[in-house]
Formats: sequence, C-alpha cells, structure tokens
Amino acid sequence: MKQAGSNDQAFAFKSRVKRFLRDANKWSVFTLTIVLFLALPIIFIGVELFSGPGETWSHIVKYLLPDYIWNSLYLVFFCSLIVLLLGVSSAWFVSRYEFPFRKQMEWLLILPLAIPSYIVGYAYAGIFDYGGTLDLIFRELNFEFIRIDIMNRAGLAFVLSISLFPYVYVSARAFFLNQANNLLEASNMLGVGERKTFFKLMLPLARPAIVAGLVLVLMEVLNDYGAAKYYGVNTFTTGIFRSWFSLEEPETAVYLSALLIIIIFALILFEKWQVRKIKFTSSKTNNKQIQRKEPKKSRKWLIFSLVFIPVFLGFVLPVAQLIYWSFLTASTVFDIQFIFISLQSFGIAITSAIITVFFALLLIYFSKWSALRFIKNIARVGVLGYAIPGAVIAIGIMIPTLALDKWLIGVLANFGIDSGLIINGTLIALFYAYAVRFLAVAYNPIESTALKVDNSIPDSSKVLGVGNLKTFFKIEFPLIKTGVFSAVILVFIDVMKELPLTLILKPYHIDTLAVKAYEYASDEMVMEAAIPSLFIIFTAMIPVIFLNKLLIKK
Amino acid sequence: MLAIKSLSKSFDKGKSYALENVTFDLKAGDVCAIVGESGSGKTTLVRLIAGLERPDHGSISLDGNIIASMDKFVQPEKRKIGLVFQEYALFPHLTILDNVLYGIFKLKNKKARAQEMLDLVGLGEMGKRYPHQLSGGQQQRVALARALAPGPSLLILDEPFSNLDAMLRMQLRNEVFDIIKKTGVTVLFVTHDTQDALSVADEILILQNGKVVQKDAAANLYVKPNTLYVASLFGNTVQINKNLQSAFHCPLNEECCHAIRNEKIKVNPAALDSDCDYITHAKVIKKIVLGDSIQLLLKLDSGEQLTVMTQDKNIEDTITIGFNSKDILEFNE
Repeated sequence: MKQAGSNDQAFAFKSRVKRFLRDANKWSVFTLTIVLFLALPIIFIGVELFSGPGETWSHIVKYLLPDYIWNSLYLVFFCSLIVLLLGVSSAWFVSRYEFPFRKQMEWLLILPLAIPSYIVGYAYAGIFDYGGTLDLIFRELNFEFIRIDIMNRAGLAFVLSISLFPYVYVSARAFFLNQANNLLEASNMLGVGERKTFFKLMLPLARPAIVAGLVLVLMEVLNDYGAAKYYGVNTFTTGIFRSWFSLEEPETAVYLSALLIIIIFALILFEKWQVRKIKFTSSKTNNKQIQRKEPKKSRKWLIFSLVFIPVFLGFVLPVAQLIYWSFLTASTVFDIQFIFISLQSFGIAITSAIITVFFALLLIYFSKWSALRFIKNIARVGVLGYAIPGAVIAIGIMIPTLALDKWLIGVLANFGIDSGLIINGTLIALFYAYAVRFLAVAYNPIESTALKVDNSIPDSSKVLGVGNLKTFFKIEFPLIKTGVFSAVILVFIDVMKELPLTLILKPYHIDTLAVKAYEYASDEMVMEAAIPSLFIIFTAMIPVIFLNKLLIKK
Repeated sequence: MLAIKSLSKSFDKGKSYALENVTFDLKAGDVCAIVGESGSGKTTLVRLIAGLERPDHGSISLDGNIIASMDKFVQPEKRKIGLVFQEYALFPHLTILDNVLYGIFKLKNKKARAQEMLDLVGLGEMGKRYPHQLSGGQQQRVALARALAPGPSLLILDEPFSNLDAMLRMQLRNEVFDIIKKTGVTVLFVTHDTQDALSVADEILILQNGKVVQKDAAANLYVKPNTLYVASLFGNTVQINKNLQSAFHCPLNEECCHAIRNEKIKVNPAALDSDCDYITHAKVIKKIVLGDSIQLLLKLDSGEQLTVMTQDKNIEDTITIGFNSKDILEFNE
C-alpha cells in the first residue's frame, strides 16, 4: 500500500491532481473571478504597454520625464522627512507624557485626515497670496508684507505633509500605546534616561509600524493630483492627466502609469523588507497600557505647544481660512444647484461604499469557503488597488471600457438599437473604479472583525447541518456588523474626498463636491471652493472622531 | 460504524504530517477516547472526521459510506455528526433555546425537541438566556444539548473539559457522560487527560506524533502497554536499562525493552517477602513529604537515580528496594 512520504513521484502527482479536483469548488472559481475583475485595470495597463508608446512619448521622455521623476523623488523625500518628524514626535508625546488637553490632542491630531490635501493646498495658497489673509493681517498691523511664495515644489511638499502626517501618527501611537509598556519599564529599571530610551529602544522597535504609516503617506503623495496641479508642480499624476486630456494620447498615459506603478511596487517592497528585517514586535498578550510621565509644569506647556503646532497647521488654520472664505462667497455659491450637487455626491459615495463593501465581503468569505490554500492567498491580490493612484486606475478602466462600448454599440446596432456608450462615461465605470481603488479600505476592518469571530463558531454551524451561505447570514453577519458598518463609513469618506479618478471617469453631467471645489479652484475662483470643501470636511470629520474611539477601545 | 483507513494530513505540503497513516474502527454505541499530548494530532483527527479539514491520503467512512477520501468529500453539513468544541462555540447572539434549535430541521415539533434537550442537560429553565449569562459548565452543557439535538449517529467531544478547573471537571465529566449514556449515541472523546479517558471510555486510542500507538480496552492499556510512552501516560514508569538490570541482578532479554512502574517498586520489603524477586540497596538523596506519603529520590550504587513513593515515615539513609518480576513491562521497541 502506498502511504504518505512515498517517493513514488507519479503517485504523488496523481494524488495531488485528485485532491485538487476534490477541493476545487464554486467558491474557488468565484474568488478567482472577483480577483481578476478587480485586477483588470492594472492588467490592461500591462497589456497596453505592448502596443507601444504614443507619438509624444520621446518628447516627454526628453523634456518632461526627468521633471516628473525628479519632482516625485523630491516630494517623496521631503514629505517623508516632515511627516516622520511630525507624526512620530506627536505620537510619542501623546502616549508618553501627561500634559494639558492631552486627551483632546489625541483625536485632534487625526483630524487633518478629514481634509483632502488639495483643499489644504487651496487654503494655504489663499493665506500666502497677494491680498491673502497674511497680507491683510500685515497691512492691518502696518507691517511691510513679506510674501513667501509657496506655489512651488517646497510649498507642495509642506501642504501634503501637513495633511497626511496623521497616517504615521496613528500607526506609531498604536504601537507606543499597545506594545511598549513592558519594554519601557524594563528600560527605566535599568536606569536608562528618556532620550536614550526613545532613540535606542522605542524608535527602532516602532520602525515597522512607522514605515507602514509612511508608505501610506507616500502612496497618497503619489496619488495626489489636485494640489500638484494647483501648485504648478509636474508629477506623474499631472503628466497622466496632461497626456489624457490635453495631448489625447492614451498610450502615453499608459506608459506613465506603468512607470508610476513600478515606483509604488518598489515602495511596497521596501515596506515588506523593513518589516521582515525586524520582526520583533512583542506578543499580543501585552495588554497593559503605557504609564504616562508627569513632566514639570513649564515642560508640560512646551509639550502642549509642540503637539499643537501640527494640529494648528494641518487643521485649525486651513479650516479657519475656508470658513472665512465661505462667509465671503456664501451668497454666490450656496444655491439650489449646490444642494443638488451635494446630494449627488452623497448618493454616489454611499452607493459606491455599499458596492465596495459588498465586494470585500464576497472576497473575504468566498476565499474562506474555498478549500484550496492558494486561493486564500490570491484573495489579497484583489486588495492591491489601494496602492495604485486613482488616475492610473481610471486610465486602466477607461481603455477597456471604451473598447467594450464600441463593440456593444456595434452589436446593438445590428438589432437596430442606438445605445450610445453604456459603461464608459456612466456611473457604472465610476463605481467599478471606486471598488478597485478602495477595496482595501473596506477589506481591512471587515477582515479584522471577522478574525475576532472564532472559527469554531461557523464550524459548529456547519457541523449542525447548515451550509456556508446560510451560516453567513444567520451567524457570521450578525457578529461582524460593526466592522461592516465602519467599512461602509470609511469608504464613504474616501469617495467623498476622491478627486483624480472621479475627474477622469465621471459622467459628463454629474458633479461631486470634490470636483466642484476643484473646478472653482482651477477657474481662479478658489474662494468659492471653500463651501464645497467645508461640506466634505464636515462629513469626513464625524467618522474620523468615531474611528479614533474605536482605536482607543482596541 | 466509523471506519478510518490510513488517514494522513499535512499542513506544510508533506514536509511533516499532523496525522500519519491512522487506521481504526469504531463500533456503534462505543465510547472511545482519543488520548495524546498537544500536537499529537487529536484535533486534526477530529476535524477530519467532522469535515472541517480535508485528508491528504486515506479515507473515512461512516455507516458504510465514504465521507472523505482523496476523490470524495462530503460537506460537514451533510455528515450528521455532532461536535462539541473545546471552546463550546455557542452562537453569542442567539438565546440558549435558539442555539439548541439551530440544528433541528426535519422534526415537526422543533421547539419541543429543543426543550427536551435542554431538560436533558438540566437547563430547561434557562432557554431564554444568552450564552454570556451562563457559567462555563452551563455553557458546556448547552453545547452538548445543541450537538445532540439533531440526533447525530456519532458525537465528538473535543477536549470538552480542558477549560474547567479540576473539581468542576470531574463533576461535569460524570454529568455529561450520564446524559450521553441515556442517548446511546456513539462517542469519540478527545482528551489529553488519562483520568478523563479511563473514567468514561470503553476503548482508548493513543496518538503520538500523529500516529496511533495503541488502541485497546481501558484496562488493558495499564497492564499491557505497547510502548514505554503509553506506559508512562498512565503513571510514572522507569525503563530497566543495563545499569538497573545489573543493580537488581535481573538479566532480561536484550532484544526487548523493559520497564517498571515507579509505584510497583517497593521500599524496604520484608526480608523474605516472596513478592519481590529483585532487590537492591539505594541511598536516599532527598525526601519530599507530600502529605500522607513521602517521595524519595534515590541513588543506586551504579549511579542511577530513581524516584519512589512510600508511606513509611522512618526512612534511613540507606534502604532496600525491590520489585516483582510479574510487574515488569515488556515492549518490542
């Protein structure tokens, strides 16, 4: 009789085939289909590369590409620097020291995330402009106005950093709060001072967490279109827009997209390498919270001011500027059409949030029900869209849907139906793109709540004679409801804020608040952009606070 | 009713096997305990039988039908096997009654059946409560009622008492098996505790590193263990190696492995006691008083160390120890 460990290769192969046929079920096929569907835009970019670059490609390579690369590197470098400084220091202060308004600061530091970077960009442009807020204040005080020009690369790096640093803050703080206590106590018992403890112990230990936050920031930096466009900085994203809209050369947009994807995968590899190199985060059993230190009174206020600076620059100042503008422009901007656009925006965001969460649920549970192990790993590929800039996804969807539509029109014409474009330039393409881009935003909270449900619970349902789908509706869904709900909210916010992808794919007659703000700003009416911007910010703010509560509970 | 044939399962593509070439049968109405240390493959075996894992090789049949093999797999929900999980796995958002009702489909009077089951486990009054409002022992009994409610032909209990403290454990074990015996269902009972196994099982199957080392009636395992490992599962056992053989002047067959249970080694046997065929002298290195009895750490002239128990309070520095040849265990290892 043959048994396990037999050397007989033919037999081993045969039994592998047998088991594969036994284990391949409809769930495996469904999972593969969904992953393929979500990866399609990227696959198309890869395929399109073979049809060669456009006519202007050589011109772009010669004159613009060095600029794109250089500017992107510049932004990546300086944003990393500023974001690390702001994010890590505020996380450390907030978790290590007791100081006035510490609790308020903890969630205020997250609020900059509620403002899309391009809106922060508009606000700062207004503050530093001729006749801008600073100018007015200086004149009021009878000082000569020294104008600082921020409409450049450096200004853009500042604006992006100040609006994105909370990603680093959140992940660094989570590490400091949950993991660090034992080590801190040990270090203190050994008589090591604060400074050395931080630089020699906490910083190296927190590195994987910090790098994870940083990579998110850099993906957003590379994704940004609105701010770079307004500040007149040529980046890959603005390049993709230019070749799509001005040059009308999809081939060139595809080549730029492919280059950008390569840069991003390099970033992801960098993160994986960093995390692998130091995999010494301590066990999850370490529940004790960090013990906060009570510094001297003067020190306390110093720490408060240090922590308040990023809150002030990233949230208070831009929001104040926007509120000021909205008073000036309320009468012209706020009309029935604006309300209509807001409702459209909400409707689009909520619909796409539900669609995206639906896909995330399908992916998580179908892959779980598939008995093939490699399918479970493949499911994660569907999540990679979060790394791909919105503009790239939009191009990746535009090209195949245009082709598909052409074909459909031809087919329908045979039946005497004049259909016009069915997918391209309709909401279907837009919802599809949001699902690809924001799947991870839905996937992660759902997965983490799903992981808290012990496997034995669905297992016992199955042993009691209830199939996968019914088990999901009767047992699993009621238990992961909160995760699903927060996933819907998170995707909702992201769609509300989304600009580049929406600009490319939105139907002609439909506007969102983000697009409206962008249009005002590009029409030299940046003041008018304030009200739609504030609407976005306030819808995004409530859940950001709510999210922080969840984080603290953890 | 349950037949398992050369069953193997690997979780790392065949580099190592959680379960290797396991074969055994189970007769209808039997209570069989599966005993093994953690990592011995007990839980894997249970999950394979329940359909929560898929075998790499071999087959499982239930009542003459193959339910899992290399080219066949019956979904867990189609197997009609009752399973009580180690962590109970009650549905937290359903009441106790709804938990028990969950698996009953075909009966006309579902509610009555569920209530009957709750009455059986002595929780008839608690139907409206939620799992978190019950104690660990009560949750355990609900899990049992839920598993029994659909009327399974085979009931599997996976370490059902390991989350409980010693006192409660014994009490609940007796209660649970009283209930089970009333239903007459065939039981597979997984435990790492030999006391659990000995007290309730007709038959015991010993797993070590994913392999079956012995399957026998409970009484036989103590008297005729197959290996030194099995012997030591049911009490401390010491191997009679060359040194001990010469110390006790008992030449034994070299091709076999021999051992003696520590409890069978007598301290200061009466000089002409025919009970002890082999005796030797030993120095007392350490005495540990354990309430009524005393544990002695001994050193023989040959240098070997031994632990024995005695109730004799007057122990001198040098003592005589001995054992009877019929107590020697012999293995072909």
